[in-house]
Amino acid sequence: MKVLIIEDEARIANRLERITRSYFEENLSAITICDSLQKGLSYIENNPIDLLLLDLNLNGENGFDVLESVVAGSFHTIIVSAYTEKAITAFSYGVLDFVPKPFDQERLETAFKRITTTTKSIEKNINFLAVKKAGTVRLIDISELHYIKGAGIYSELHLRNGRQELHDKSLEKLQQLLPDTFERIHKSYLISLVQAERILIQPGGRYGLLLKNGEVLPVGRSRYKDLKEKMI
Amino acid sequence: MVYEEYPVLYKNGDNILWAGKHYNDSDWSANQTSNADSVFWVRTHINILKNPDAMPGIKVNAFGAFEVYWDSVRIGSNGRIFQKNILEIPGTEATVYNVPDSLSGAGMHILSFRASQSYLPKEKRGFYVELDSYKSLLTLPLVITSVMNIMSGAFLIASLYYFFLYFNSSKRQQTILIFAVICLLFFTLLILEYIKFYIEIPYTKFYFRLEAIGILTIIIAILVPLYFTIQFNFQWKKVLLVILGISLIGIYIFNYRHYDRNAQYYSMCMWIASTVIVLNAILQKEKGALLVLSGLLCSIVVNKYVVYDFGLFISFTIIVLCMLYLHTIRSRVIEDEYHSSLLLSSRLQLELVKKNIQPHFLKNTLTSLIDWVEESPKQGAEFIHALAAEFDIMNTISEEVQIPIRQEIELCKVHLTVMQFRKEIQYHWEDKGIDDAEFIPPALIHTILENGITHSIPIAGHGIRFCLQFLKTNTYRQYTFETIAENRIPSRTRKGGTGFRYIQARLTESYGDKWEFTSEATPNGWMSTVKIYTK
Repeated sequence: MKVLIIEDEARIANRLERITRSYFEENLSAITICDSLQKGLSYIENNPIDLLLLDLNLNGENGFDVLESVVAGSFHTIIVSAYTEKAITAFSYGVLDFVPKPFDQERLETAFKRITTTTKSIEKNINFLAVKKAGTVRLIDISELHYIKGAGIYSELHLRNGRQELHDKSLEKLQQLLPDTFERIHKSYLISLVQAERILIQPGGRYGLLLKNGEVLPVGRSRYKDLKEKMI
Repeated sequence: MVYEEYPVLYKNGDNILWAGKHYNDSDWSANQTSNADSVFWVRTHINILKNPDAMPGIKVNAFGAFEVYWDSVRIGSNGRIFQKNILEIPGTEATVYNVPDSLSGAGMHILSFRASQSYLPKEKRGFYVELDSYKSLLTLPLVITSVMNIMSGAFLIASLYYFFLYFNSSKRQQTILIFAVICLLFFTLLILEYIKFYIEIPYTKFYFRLEAIGILTIIIAILVPLYFTIQFNFQWKKVLLVILGISLIGIYIFNYRHYDRNAQYYSMCMWIASTVIVLNAILQKEKGALLVLSGLLCSIVVNKYVVYDFGLFISFTIIVLCMLYLHTIRSRVIEDEYHSSLLLSSRLQLELVKKNIQPHFLKNTLTSLIDWVEESPKQGAEFIHALAAEFDIMNTISEEVQIPIRQEIELCKVHLTVMQFRKEIQYHWEDKGIDDAEFIPPALIHTILENGITHSIPIAGHGIRFCLQFLKTNTYRQYTFETIAENRIPSRTRKGGTGFRYIQARLTESYGDKWEFTSEATPNGWMSTVKIYTK
């Protein structure tokens, strides 16, 4: 686990580091602190990370301006901020969690737990998926999503208009961010249940899911029972 | 009264028979040719066409001293006629005599005057006679005077009110003074114009009054446009007033002694100048300009269609009313400015209070505080004390418009202590040449300090130094605040955030436009300068 902390207050940055270290223990391979947005962004460009802890107001600059581009990255983002009123907006962009200041160890650890488990209880107000394309960031409304197909460390977003976009996050990470109306029907497929028509039983004991547009996607054997319950 | 007038005839010499009804005056002259030291006679025939209903009276306008005869009967006198070795006592210009009913039946009558004009012998104005009911000849001037006195009374009160307003106001406005003077002059003008009805002025002093009226009119004709130029922010004020002044003096010189006509010319000049200003004001979209224009148009209509005497004064009154209206508009603007300044002050108070409760400050401070308390409780307590001290000072100064400079410095120092706990950076404070008697708007330096903390990177081993210096000269006081550190490179150019707006608003609140604020990068870091002009 490689963690980057972008925080301009030394004391708070150290606190974040200390709690992070104690939570991840030996799983933590690298932890870095940047005290400005510029430094943080250039670090992200040059070094792979798994988790970003981001303050939204740094040295008088608005961290929201860079939120779109960081959520398009392959890593999860946790916002640590004094501006609690921004939480809803942050969630709509697809951050993993919003930790309001002042925070204690417990609250930060709850955020970390989201990385490893897909808890259903937490609020998921994501509205957009940010996609990096030719140096710019595009926001895709999640109601535009048809299904998502895993492609190694990337994911292919299949949109209702037939187009495809590539997202830097893995299928697992996206599933953590997307609401419960998205169901994993196969190790490589995550679909919006709204799009599902019915389950097909194909010769050879294989299962398929017929989508409203007529496309058929494979359903994993282990996931069939779960899906069937949800379809009814 | 229905009667026929005949020409007025003159003859030098003295003979009581010349008062006779049947005397033949066919060889008499139609022009007055009298000398200073001789008596002359004046005759005119009057044909009363119908027996009068009430007692008739004669109004005479003439220079000199004279006795009045109606059909050979002496009915009155004015002054005392020149006699050998006895000087003439000059009469007054306008007089009224009653004619007994017994002598005023229908038919031809002769009105004659035995007269002398020892003074102003060159002024041969002649005799003018008007016949009317004696009662109305006496009461008409009374009615006019009473109306005019009511009007002049109003102007006197207005003048006094605006003089008091001017001298008692903390912010003396030129326009108020001008308006008060105009009202006073106008009051004097009205009194002088109608004083003739109740004070007997010897004909020798007749022109004094007219001269005075003329000069008053000229001054008013300059002051009224001057008032409009100020109220309407007229650009070519001097040019217009010089042209106006030259025109007025030109009329006075070239048309000397044509008093009534000159008064009309003066008021016309004033009208033209005012109209030019008002039209320009309409182009400039000044408030109230349209109303003043309609007032001016109204005044010209009144002046044209109402008999001269009243016409001029009524049109003047309309213009003065327009000025009064403009004045109320201006007062309203000042009132609004005052209210918005009050609003600004309370907004700035709020801004100041918000400094310490805005989430960025408060939540970050609390987060650091939790950490200090958890990690080293002793220093955590110190941190809490510093924070309490900052809150204390903020609380004391929050409703002030200005605070002692030492208090401001105290605030900055305690803020640095708080920030040192948060940022774990060494901050150093230094101040030079501070005059403890000086006052400054609250949190002015504090705001610059906050910017310095936010936008600076400490120099390794030295932290960040802040240095406040004070300089006082005859014309200004100056605070320079230097941040010695490395400047952060902003991701985009900053255009003075809320901090700068707060500083500027506070400076305006305290010093109007007599201040300068600059803030710029220097090789050592950052330099902010607040310059307050004393004059």
